[in-house]
Amino acid sequence: MFDVIIVGAGSVGCATARELSRYRLRVLVLEKGHDLCAGASKCNSGMIHAGYDPIPGTNEAKFNAPGCRLMYQICDELSVPCLKNGTTIFATNESGMRELYKLEGFARENHVRAEIVTPPSLYELLPDIGKDVKAVLWVPDGGVTNPFCVTFALAENAWANGVEFYKEAEVTDIQKSEEGFLVTARMPASQAMDIPGTTPADAQPEGGTCPVTFSARMVINCAGGHSDVINNMVSEKKFRIIPRFGAHVVLDRKHSDKLTTTLMETPHDLPGGGHTKGMAIITTTGGTMLLGCDATEVDDPDFTDTRRESIEQIVDYFKKAWKDLPLGSDGTPFPEDEIISIFGGCRPHADTNDFVIGEPDDAPGFVNAGGTESPAFTACYAIAQHVAGICIDRLKPPVNENFDPHRPAKKAFRDMTNEERRAAIAENPDYAKIVCRCEMVTEAEIRDAIRRPLGARSISEVKLRTRAGMGRCQGGFCSPRVLEILSEELGISPLEVTQCGGSSRVLAGLACNA
Amino acid sequence: MKEVELVVIGGGAAGMAAAVSAYKNGVRDILILERNSALGGVLQQCIHNGFGLHRFKEDLTGVEFAARYADMVQELRIPYLLNTFVIELHSDRTITAVSPEEGLMEIRAKAVVLAMGCRERSRNALLIPGARGAGIMTAGTAQRYLNIDGYLPGRRIVIVGSGDIGLIMARQFVLEGCEVAAVVEIMPYSGGLPRNMKQCIEDFDIPVYYNSVISEVCGKERVSSVLVGKVDENRRLIPGTEFEISCDTLLISAGLIPENELTESAGIAMSRATKGALVTEDLQTSIPGIFSCGNVLHVHDLVDFVSEEGEEAGRNAAAWLLAEKETALKETASKETVSKEAVSKEAASKETTLAETASKEETKAGNIRVLSGDGVGGIVPQTVRQDTPLPEVHFMFRPLARYRDAVITARYRDTVNTSGAGENGAARTASTGGQTGQNSMNASGAGENGAARTASTGGQTGQNNRILIRKRFLALTPGEMCKITIPAEKLKNAPEIIFDIEGTQV
Repeated sequence: MFDVIIVGAGSVGCATARELSRYRLRVLVLEKGHDLCAGASKCNSGMIHAGYDPIPGTNEAKFNAPGCRLMYQICDELSVPCLKNGTTIFATNESGMRELYKLEGFARENHVRAEIVTPPSLYELLPDIGKDVKAVLWVPDGGVTNPFCVTFALAENAWANGVEFYKEAEVTDIQKSEEGFLVTARMPASQAMDIPGTTPADAQPEGGTCPVTFSARMVINCAGGHSDVINNMVSEKKFRIIPRFGAHVVLDRKHSDKLTTTLMETPHDLPGGGHTKGMAIITTTGGTMLLGCDATEVDDPDFTDTRRESIEQIVDYFKKAWKDLPLGSDGTPFPEDEIISIFGGCRPHADTNDFVIGEPDDAPGFVNAGGTESPAFTACYAIAQHVAGICIDRLKPPVNENFDPHRPAKKAFRDMTNEERRAAIAENPDYAKIVCRCEMVTEAEIRDAIRRPLGARSISEVKLRTRAGMGRCQGGFCSPRVLEILSEELGISPLEVTQCGGSSRVLAGLACNA
Repeated sequence: MKEVELVVIGGGAAGMAAAVSAYKNGVRDILILERNSALGGVLQQCIHNGFGLHRFKEDLTGVEFAARYADMVQELRIPYLLNTFVIELHSDRTITAVSPEEGLMEIRAKAVVLAMGCRERSRNALLIPGARGAGIMTAGTAQRYLNIDGYLPGRRIVIVGSGDIGLIMARQFVLEGCEVAAVVEIMPYSGGLPRNMKQCIEDFDIPVYYNSVISEVCGKERVSSVLVGKVDENRRLIPGTEFEISCDTLLISAGLIPENELTESAGIAMSRATKGALVTEDLQTSIPGIFSCGNVLHVHDLVDFVSEEGEEAGRNAAAWLLAEKETALKETASKETVSKEAVSKEAASKETTLAETASKEETKAGNIRVLSGDGVGGIVPQTVRQDTPLPEVHFMFRPLARYRDAVITARYRDTVNTSGAGENGAARTASTGGQTGQNSMNASGAGENGAARTASTGGQTGQNNRILIRKRFLALTPGEMCKITIPAEKLKNAPEIIFDIEGTQV
């Protein structure tokens, strides 16, 4: 019997788990993906939105600004890199100016610091901004962090404080029961057999999986793109997720020092349909630059293919806008040959046009934290505090005296000083084995990413945790070595190592001459 | 801090050749830094033949070719460190490297040869849309899985691009019992060597789709098929031309990119055309004493030319070190009365201002700009010093298109403004300029290229053009390097050198 089951281990689910771990509660997180952070938390830009743009009065407005403050605090407590470099929304024409004034008004109502800056002060703020820029809305509290690192750090900290996790556990049914809820999840038979109380008789293998039923006093729905499905299992107050796909183009780190703040043009309708917060250029904490993103409605919330239309839209937009940005105002053309990657994913937009937060009237004990489109990543901890608060009020648990808000984290080798590097190598010579050349990731860090609690089990899971394969060559050089290390650490044949879980094996077999 | 006369970064074909030739030219204190566990670089995974035909007049495998040079390195007892990764290169020629055996080491080098090679262009850099599961990798990665690790990365393969590694891998996959369903090439012709097209593709009846791209990768967790479509003359997909090819693997063989992150971090001026350092005819970069050679300087077609260029760089580095020593000796002699302490101080300050002084000297001496005219891609070297000590200068570049009955000419314009030449052509003047200086230099360089191209129409009238050399070729293709050698004597009075290709485009 669990006190609370959290469905979904994205940023909101892991934040909620971590917040609940402050109390003496038995908490279980069920994640359907092969890894944590498998949905929208993995595909977003990592921007910390200050909260200047949600429509005042909405849940998005209510949780964004407090979430922003909490995000900086979480990054500090859990040793996750973040940059508070402000957000700058620029306007190049009259309609853009109107939009700036509107956003300034929203910011005021949402209690977010924001200020319209026009020339000449604009050129003090941003000396290299293009001359066609009429004004900017300067939002000093905006920033950027790494969404995977945040999510993994929250999960690890929750785990260290006693929360249990199952990956590859897809919730297929939720029934109300006397004590609360019966939550059934389908998971690999091998994992199910290890669960106390599950007997081989319970297992009805079906494609290697079997259903396992857990009982819980309360359930929190943090299922992101699938939060409608989970809600609709329990409540008659139904909603629907309309997945909104967006893509990002990643630029080489070469010129990122020229970009001192996140810059985005005022939101406008996209030529291909859709509407975004504005096309942004963001320097990530890893040093690369992200360009994006567009918005297109799709059917599958798990859709992550890169769409030709999205890429063309982003590249075409930045080719035009480059002259307005500090990187192109001197006439430098858009560096198309410095694009190193493209990625995309879906925002879980609810048909209610807002986050769906709280208990539906007809399902007490079932708490929604759904419809978590942007700015939900920024808001994740504020949402977590709110939904965890509902559980605490209901269950009145004692405080967990052993709760440790910090997570032991080593600095990345690439961020160390040479003295720190020397010391790290002296302690563990694997620090001197550079596996990923482009991002300077060492064998020690890759082994650690696999050995850590809730660690990596595939090549792309190593990438998310260490940046190995995220650089210029996109894993061309390092993936064979990462595969070898995974095989050693997991005790499996290299042939069984996957790109991203499931049937995504990298290798097809032995060479005939091997 | 460890002091070494010559550090060679990279122990592949270029680096080993540079070290061996520097040794033969009198340098004894050499150190090769190699990141892999053996010398040889990418040659270690090249088990096919065709290497060494020029250099050794023998048909060797890549592994054998590497062994020839590795043996020379061993015989000459040239020190090398394996598993050693250079993490920093500074403009004062200090190097930080790490290895499990030595830990973190800092090395002060009098001269440096850059020989880091290149990487492959990735699927994402090519903006190939679609699924992102398993089964997509570069041809070189597949080569490593197959030849080093002994694994098959897939069984039914489509190859994007007709670069040499892809062509070699196509044949090898067929020999491994796999099916190569298609080679998809965006250009109307192959990007690889003609001999590889013949021996690896035509001989095995592998279908090649020219003027075509992958418009989408399909599949969920692993590739299940690709959509192939035609492109128009602007290389944009023509909607409606797509058809599906089922496959479980997509190999990317669409170009190599010099790995110049260290070069750029040291502030060395770069060429936008070659993606390598800007160099003078002795392969010296904008920082005096730092030389560049092989695929890190510009992407070669044959390893024979890579090692040839490595040997050149090693020889030139040796000559530069000798000249530096002589200068230092003269200075010491002329300042006999000065105390030893002051001398060493002098030497230290000289070290730091070296770049500056050298650049001044260079400008004074005058440089000859090397420019691309019609049909010519990025040229190495970009600058020839008018007082070059070399007896002849080698120019290398790739044709921008495929030609039949072609003539390559090198010429200069009589009326050219020579003051501009000093400014643009002097790679070394930008040495401390960092990013901005670099960009402006490249931008102006590009402008000059354009100018040369416009001026080339003047070739018909010929009144202002002085021809330095004319060479006739039966055929030229972008897959093959052009190598033109001109005696230094002939270049003495040229304010610039422009290369053109004339011929029938096919």
